[in-house]
Amino acid sequence: MKNRFSVKVGGRSGQGINTLGEFLSKAIRDSGLVTFAYREYPSIIKGGYASYQIDVSSEPISASQKHTDILLCMTDQSFDKYVNTVAKNGVVIHSIKGLKINEEDRRYIKRNRIKITYIDAIGLAEKNDAPIIMANMVILGLFWKVINLDLSILEKIVLDYFSRKKGVDLKAEKRCLKAGYESDLVKDIKLNNFPQEKRRNWQSSLILTGNDAIALGAVSAGCRGYYAYPMTPATSILSKLGSTYMETGILVKQAESEITAVQMVLGSMYMGTRAFTATAGGGYDLMSESISFAGMAELPLVIVLAQRAGPATGVPTWTGASDLSIALHAGHGEFPRCVLSASDASDAYELIQNAFNIAETYQLPVTLLTEKQISESLFNIKRLSEPQKIERGLVRSAPKRYEITKNGISPRWVPKKNKRTYLTNSDEHDEEGISVEDAPQVEEMSEKRMRKIDRLKKSIPEPKYYGHEEPTLVFVGMGSTKNAVIDAMPLTKKRLGYLHYKYIYPLRYEKILELNNDNVEIVLIENNQDGAFSKLIKEEANFYIPNTFRKYDGRAFFVDDILEYIKS
Amino acid sequence: MKVDIKDYNTDVTPTWCPGCGNFSVHIALKKALIELKKQPSEVVMSFDIGCNGNGADKIEGFRIKGLHGRAIPLAVGAHLANRDMTIIADIGDGGCLHEGIDHLIHAIRSNYDLTILIHNNQNFALTTGQITSTTPEGKSMYGFPKGRTEGVISIGELTLSLNPSFYARGYSQDIPQLKEIIKEGIKNKGLSVIEIMQVCPTYNKESNHEFFKERIVKIEKNNSIKKAREYLSNKKKLYTGIIYSNTKVKNYYSKLANRKEKKSELVDEVRNYSIKNILSE
Repeated sequence: MKNRFSVKVGGRSGQGINTLGEFLSKAIRDSGLVTFAYREYPSIIKGGYASYQIDVSSEPISASQKHTDILLCMTDQSFDKYVNTVAKNGVVIHSIKGLKINEEDRRYIKRNRIKITYIDAIGLAEKNDAPIIMANMVILGLFWKVINLDLSILEKIVLDYFSRKKGVDLKAEKRCLKAGYESDLVKDIKLNNFPQEKRRNWQSSLILTGNDAIALGAVSAGCRGYYAYPMTPATSILSKLGSTYMETGILVKQAESEITAVQMVLGSMYMGTRAFTATAGGGYDLMSESISFAGMAELPLVIVLAQRAGPATGVPTWTGASDLSIALHAGHGEFPRCVLSASDASDAYELIQNAFNIAETYQLPVTLLTEKQISESLFNIKRLSEPQKIERGLVRSAPKRYEITKNGISPRWVPKKNKRTYLTNSDEHDEEGISVEDAPQVEEMSEKRMRKIDRLKKSIPEPKYYGHEEPTLVFVGMGSTKNAVIDAMPLTKKRLGYLHYKYIYPLRYEKILELNNDNVEIVLIENNQDGAFSKLIKEEANFYIPNTFRKYDGRAFFVDDILEYIKS
Repeated sequence: MKVDIKDYNTDVTPTWCPGCGNFSVHIALKKALIELKKQPSEVVMSFDIGCNGNGADKIEGFRIKGLHGRAIPLAVGAHLANRDMTIIADIGDGGCLHEGIDHLIHAIRSNYDLTILIHNNQNFALTTGQITSTTPEGKSMYGFPKGRTEGVISIGELTLSLNPSFYARGYSQDIPQLKEIIKEGIKNKGLSVIEIMQVCPTYNKESNHEFFKERIVKIEKNNSIKKAREYLSNKKKLYTGIIYSNTKVKNYYSKLANRKEKKSELVDEVRNYSIKNILSE
């Protein structure tokens, strides 16, 4: 693809593929180029096939192309799995002795004129007095020569990392990198689309996963408690906050269940600190009743829902966006709520901060949606935005905790010694929190709570438009779909636009209605089958978008998917 | 500031049945808090759903009436946010041993510094008398005229198996003893499990005052796990008092490496923080 290059490292789970992927992302970034890296891995610890794909450009990118220009391959299983993802005229560098290629792959290789290069990486590692696990470094070195970047940059990243591990022979690592870099195999490998134009001062840019950004945003926003139960793809928030807890002082607790986690968050938020939890769909289901409780008792609540593919256990280490419905509807009874959706690390950082502000100001549950594609991919961004101002909506004290107000927001104050006490009630209640069952009181309090949504709707930002000023085709979407569409824009002559939703519910729809004219084709793009976002727009805006583009195979939209769609 | 029982009373009319054990449990709780010189605004009570939970508006303090089975984790979240407050989780045998038994188990092993009052009236009363795992064998209950098919859960034996710091058993109709137990439980710097044997004149007529009077043997305080197990294994008698206490078990918060030097509570720490020191890749 024009102005883009892509490399994939393939091997088995447990073989250090993640580490190699991170080395490459950082070293290429330090060489002055923008990277986007995404992981594929099975829900097992050892074996199977795993990969890290790094896309490279001189311009900002945040999605992957379907076909990689070069595949670095260390096991025959991953060769079988990934050889047919290599682009036309692409290259495979592998270290598999006696590699057998099946007939179908052979035809694919021939048809696409793919160059297969074997390097005896294990032999070279042994020759350099290094353990065979360092064969990885030999391949990495050869690749680095192929793209012709400064070896000292890669060396620094590698040595920095291993110097933090005990008992690693750093000199051997270095010898292996060099052996690969100096291998004469490079003269047979021709790749001419590696981006040449470097960005200035790009070494200071950041490489962050969406989950890193959520953890950082939470810290920045004064979150002091994180309680969670491990579940892919939310787990790395726990590890980021856990591994930095000495620096931050945040109380990090691995709870015995998602129900415990969310209840602890409610308890801590009620007391007046900021806390949150994160989980995937299954854990979120377990939190449903507590979400309803937060709605009724008007307790601030922040939950990150990191989506993965499928119902039940589904395809647990793969991506999707099929949990919007549950985020919109979890919990029995009627109560106001807010749903946000991140698309990348920058969004995630900003939105988690606003999630706290909204949850506290409006005293309701806020769900921040991400996807495995966002949670675990490495985004390379210049910098994070300025921290959001903390807004808590607290008062010192008031006569009635659930006072009926015009905008539905009642005074909330922190329980402390010598403050007026109150009852926080999951029963329907009067203004003082006392349980009631009489019809007028039930109706009045229910209406009070619901009024908050009108106010919230007015205060949240509108969706953001990206792309051509006079578009002929506009995608409307949320989450990671944005990244593929925006990455596709410079690769087509078509006048493309993308209307990006971060604030999903309550829904602002004025901009969609504005877009709607005879000269523009509107397409609703979703990483799911059932079109939950489409349905929400229909319900809220009474606007039906007949053209939809959906994908639900556990993979995010590739840039190629968008280009193929607009061609057809 | 002087604190009086009137400070803890509310003007909400009680809805419990005449003779319900909750009346005297509330008196004992209020008296304990007064004798500990706690203002209502220093106390956070997390109530479960059930007859006990209907007491949430009948006592002053910061009260939360939450979800069935979840009084404990809500109280834990509140406790971790502000340890200056006295935290009490108030729950029945139904919510505690059925819907939310995992919370009880993990709270004991974590040894948070809070007090759990378990109202054991041996049935789900608010839903009109269903079986719980403490209902006496053979007793006819809602939907099950022949009684329960499943075995029992002994709150005491379960607690003792988890290296607890405090387990006591009181009796709803013995207010002076119950008050003392609650006071000791609150004073304990760890998780205090207080099981209250509670009369239920509507759905558990058999376990009435006569029944308890015949069986109860009062003790003061015991620190021996062996002795505690003996008390509990005696099925003919019902030992009440502080069945077991062990001050050597450290509480959860005191073991948190990153909170050791902190003078403030989480509730006092909400502000913008720089992320520079954790931005490293």
